[in-house]
Amino acid sequence: MVSKATRWVLLGVGAAAATGVGRTVARRRRRHQPERQDGWYVVRRGVTVDRPRDAVIGFWTDRERLDRALAEWATLERIDGDRWRCEGVAPDGGAGWRAEITVEGPGVLRWRVTEGAVPQEGRLELTDAPQGRGTELRAELRYRSGPVRRVFGLTAGDEPDLALRDALRRVKSLIECGQVIETRHDPSARSPRQERATDKIRDKLTTGGRA
Amino acid sequence: MRALCWEGVGKLAVRDVPEPRVRAADDIIVRVRASSVCGSDLHLINGYLPAMREGDVLGHEFMGEVVETGPGVRRLRVGDRVVVGSVVACGGCWYCRTEQYSLCDNSNPQPVFTEKLWGHSPAGILGYSHAAGGYSGSHAEYVRVPFGDVGAFPVPDGVADDAVVFASDAMPTGWMAADFCGLEGGEVVAVWGAGGVGQMAARSAQILGAERVIVIDRLPERLATAAARLGVETIDYSRTDVLEALREMTAGRGPDACIEAVGMESHDVGPSYAYDRAKQAARLQTDRLTSVRQAIMACRKGGTVSIVGVYAGLVDKFPLGAAMNKALVLRMGQMHAQRYIPMLLDRIAVGEIDPGYLATHPLPLEEGVRGYELFEKKRDGCLRSVLHPAG
Repeated sequence: MVSKATRWVLLGVGAAAATGVGRTVARRRRRHQPERQDGWYVVRRGVTVDRPRDAVIGFWTDRERLDRALAEWATLERIDGDRWRCEGVAPDGGAGWRAEITVEGPGVLRWRVTEGAVPQEGRLELTDAPQGRGTELRAELRYRSGPVRRVFGLTAGDEPDLALRDALRRVKSLIECGQVIETRHDPSARSPRQERATDKIRDKLTTGGRA
Repeated sequence: MRALCWEGVGKLAVRDVPEPRVRAADDIIVRVRASSVCGSDLHLINGYLPAMREGDVLGHEFMGEVVETGPGVRRLRVGDRVVVGSVVACGGCWYCRTEQYSLCDNSNPQPVFTEKLWGHSPAGILGYSHAAGGYSGSHAEYVRVPFGDVGAFPVPDGVADDAVVFASDAMPTGWMAADFCGLEGGEVVAVWGAGGVGQMAARSAQILGAERVIVIDRLPERLATAAARLGVETIDYSRTDVLEALREMTAGRGPDACIEAVGMESHDVGPSYAYDRAKQAARLQTDRLTSVRQAIMACRKGGTVSIVGVYAGLVDKFPLGAAMNKALVLRMGQMHAQRYIPMLLDRIAVGEIDPGYLATHPLPLEEGVRGYELFEKKRDGCLRSVLHPAG
């Protein structure tokens, strides 16, 4: 039989522990939240491409190579001099999103998503990496979302920050080795049902990460 | 086609799987002629690296014949007999350009797991779990090799399949272990592990100038093979205090360099080993560090500890104080296959290294499960089972 005093002590210790854990989790979550400015989330991501700046710019201006590289991911259409329309392909093959890209100068461009689930815009700047390590692609993304929507987006893998990190890694890979490698169709002894489950895990292991 | 597949922790089976196809311009398809089991497969099979999926095809150390090439392949032709590095490398990133192929930026298509676990993602590896990219492995009749021009190397005529297969992984790993030691000639090198990698590390250390090489293991047949084939000195750690023996053999100095070629399931005797094993079994730590601890304690002041045994996660009782206060150099890593394979093929061709004796158990693919059992339980003097899917 537990005495009343013992029960109160246990309750107190439990409450203190729960408060401590809760505060630690909240602090950790705050540390991992992107910056907020005027209702927009602002994230900055970067990737280093092992090619000189001219070669990186050259990749984007070589239309044939670009179309080949983007084939299954997006289409690009020139609107006028410095403006382009980019249309993302959804996994089912339909239109996923539309964005307008404006080249602002050598090595600087902006984009704005004109049709998509989340309002977003961003800026990409190319700078020389130190020690002849190629070119740094530094992106700043601003998107409107709320904390709950962001958590759902992260869980579902369709959050703009994840997409930006994917895009940067994809661009790096396309420029450095001409392809974005995947193992989705490699042989296995899995049943179709097991393969679908494995593909979901592949998606989780492919989406986001550092960039 | 037939392939040896992972079916769950500790379970393997030979199954029918679809044949691979060329997916990218620089892919090649290789008909596998010889595919070796490897100690690092055991970590995957036994679930210590929890990134396998039921149905995954195992195997990463292999050679065979090119049967199909993508339109972008320039260096290889259909019919070439090739050995393939187990590490997948794109050839175009900074790491590949500086010959650090196992750190390739672009060859792991599923980098998030290892980025969270290790901070960054190293290269993909064929047949080595979804942490290493989810590539299908070489214990199969055919295997797709991405970036074929970077990862596959034509084999000199006259060299047997069962010898050259080790140029895929065990030899470059052993060579890199010795290379890490920065040998200048006349050193004493101790090697923990008398398996395929340990023996190749011992031979590499000899070629790179070590005056004495001491190999440490507990299996008498492996120690006897190492002594007979390589002319090394040996220590049986199950009968001898390794640290005492090494101090005595080096007149109190300790070895100049210590190579650890055992990995996360290392074995020992005594209560600390029982403690480590219990913690690992309960998944409270991922790796057992026994041989690394010994290597650090044994190494002479200012010496080098070179780690090529595979470790995946967290350990405890790491003797950082010994490493720091003895000013040791610690070097480690997965091997940069593509850097070393061409040079090693030349050395095999002239008979400077003959790894063929490692293939103690050549077996058909259908006996792959038995091959792993022989290898894991160290039965019948098994150093390596080598599977022959092509018959």
